[in-house]
Amino acid sequence: MHLILCICIYTYFCMCVCFFFFFTEKMNTNLFLSFFVADVISTVEFNQTGDLLATGDKGGRVVIFHRETESKSESEELGESGEYNVYSTFQSHEPDFDYLKSLEIEEKINKIRWLPQQNAAHFLLSTNDKTIKLWKVSERDKRPEGYNLKDEEGRIKDISTVTSLQVPVLKPTDLMVEVRPRRIFANGHTYHVNSISVNSDGETYLSADDLRINMWHLDITDRSFNIVDIKPANMEDLTEVITAAEFHPQHCHLFVYSSSKGTLRLCDMRESALCDKHSKIFEEPEDPGNRSFFSEIISSVSDVKFSHSGRYLLTRDYLTVKVWDLNMEKGPVETYQVHEYLRGKLCSLYENDCIFDKFECVWNSTDSVIMTGAYNSFFRMFDRETGRGVTLEAWRESSKPRAVLRTRRVYTGGRRRRGDVGVDSLDFSKKILHMAWHPAENIIAIAATNNLYIFQDRVNAENQ
Amino acid sequence: MEYKVEAHRIMSISLGKIYNSRVQRGGIKLHKNLLVSLVLRSARQVYLSDYYSGACLNAAQSQREGNEWEEKFPPSTTECDRVQSPEEPQQDALPEKEREYRENDDAVKSDQVDCTSTLQQEQNQNSSLDSVTYVSSETRPETIIVPKESPSDSTEEAERDSTPEANGESHQPPEKHVCSNRKRSADETESGDSSKKRVKVGSSNAKEDEEAEEMDTSNVSNLITIFGSGFSGLLSKDGAKAESEAEDSGQICCDQMLKNLNPWSTAIVAF
Repeated sequence: MHLILCICIYTYFCMCVCFFFFFTEKMNTNLFLSFFVADVISTVEFNQTGDLLATGDKGGRVVIFHRETESKSESEELGESGEYNVYSTFQSHEPDFDYLKSLEIEEKINKIRWLPQQNAAHFLLSTNDKTIKLWKVSERDKRPEGYNLKDEEGRIKDISTVTSLQVPVLKPTDLMVEVRPRRIFANGHTYHVNSISVNSDGETYLSADDLRINMWHLDITDRSFNIVDIKPANMEDLTEVITAAEFHPQHCHLFVYSSSKGTLRLCDMRESALCDKHSKIFEEPEDPGNRSFFSEIISSVSDVKFSHSGRYLLTRDYLTVKVWDLNMEKGPVETYQVHEYLRGKLCSLYENDCIFDKFECVWNSTDSVIMTGAYNSFFRMFDRETGRGVTLEAWRESSKPRAVLRTRRVYTGGRRRRGDVGVDSLDFSKKILHMAWHPAENIIAIAATNNLYIFQDRVNAENQ
Repeated sequence: MEYKVEAHRIMSISLGKIYNSRVQRGGIKLHKNLLVSLVLRSARQVYLSDYYSGACLNAAQSQREGNEWEEKFPPSTTECDRVQSPEEPQQDALPEKEREYRENDDAVKSDQVDCTSTLQQEQNQNSSLDSVTYVSSETRPETIIVPKESPSDSTEEAERDSTPEANGESHQPPEKHVCSNRKRSADETESGDSSKKRVKVGSSNAKEDEEAEEMDTSNVSNLITIFGSGFSGLLSKDGAKAESEAEDSGQICCDQMLKNLNPWSTAIVAF
């Protein structure tokens, strides 16, 4: 594949846009790269069409990117797709304080989820540790002009100068994006909210904290329905917490939640009002040979995602990603090692708290490729058909124009190739925890601390 | 041996993490604290089992420990079980921690009679090796304290948690209670012997029971202040604080352990 490179540099918040090529099924990596520098990014999410990309950061801000749709003929000639530009920025959550418990509530955005679009406006849910908010994102590109009593700047006209009556008309104006909070779902959670998931019915959504899952109606803010409660009567008996939850993409009565013990529970809301009793439980027996002090920590599931088809589940624990078939509970159907070379370093990773990092995992649009993050700005992609994995890097300095993004390798023994990175030289402060994959195309958004990278697959039309 | 050092190191790190989590912004993270407490538990098991078997993760040992651990969870038995923890190494503050761990786990619902009976059961079950350690933890808390003087790391841990004294009344009853139980059980179990332990025990016999108990309670109070009002709130079953304490549940065991650490190390330093 030939590569077409185009670099445009914007200096707004150090944003740089570089076009590269990115990764396809053949494991050739071509990337189309955009940067954005902000506060530490804590969540990334595409909307259902992929035209909008929302990021939340530790400072409680949400930045929405919009994909520019260039004219078709131009795109085809150059082989470029639209690039993502900043669409809107707003402060979603502010630092808060719980006076009753004397606890500070962080404003960090834990999750953003878009609602399916129903009219011209876009809606998204954003949550911090305690409060979920529904935001309406709307465009305004027309304004009424020709008032009788006010002039164009809004100043009241002198009545004596008004000689005739005119009807105000809507005139096109510069695009303005307005974001307004429409609902605030507060006081629903005692513990820290870790997930939200919009139901396929379009009316309800769930929010999960460490011990409980609540179901809300999007229009009702003063009530929520508790559907899972794993809090023991005696807190000393606590053995596991909920780490992630998601609704099934098609069946509005099914949802799954993962636990810190590495189990997944599929619940059917038709069975009972309180879904403490699961319909299915997915767990893999522990390998006794790998037992260590940290076995429990590394088996904790940090993220769970349904496949687009709804047939499979993708889970991420500290060292692996696993694909589970909803029809088989006794174990995953596929297991991929993300960074097995870290197994011998668990103790030092425990000391520097890296072992508690919560990596996310994502499916591609066809459920054939899965992706997750790692350390040293590396992220991994696994092709489910071949079972092969590749390591890529989200790092500005290593992305040169006209370059195929080469795959990286961590040296763990055997023949050392040029460019291999030793395990001890991995930078554990550069971790890729949050990422998103476009729902239809091969476009991925990777959050590397406070940089956002957008990689696009670009196929040169000439060479097809 | 290196396993023991490793286990001890991991325990220190875990306790440090739990301590630090209290001052972190955003409140206590239940998930992380739960995981840390699990690591702490595993490390402790290894540490204690290693002492006797000389091998890390000896299957039988761990299993027995695990069984004992499970047995102890019924409220009436826990405290006393910990007191007589057969794995109590002569030079470690851990058994004390565990004792506290247990008793506080059950919200300090101790029953002296039950304790005694459990003690006896426990003793019957114990091997001679167990009795040895048990003897070392005989009569008085001080006796246990003294052996702990030897390792410097226990004092390190204590220093880390040193705080001004505060009054923690809710802890006093269980403390005293446990102390008295220990005494009773110690008297009752004269089986097995370890000359080394006997010597150490003897040297510490000079301390008064009341002193020990006072130390316990005051040191417990210190630990309470370390962990703030939340802990005492839990013990006093204060509803208003119940939730925040519940969040600390993952911490509770570690709180207990730290509680024990500080009193004993303070005692060691004092005497």
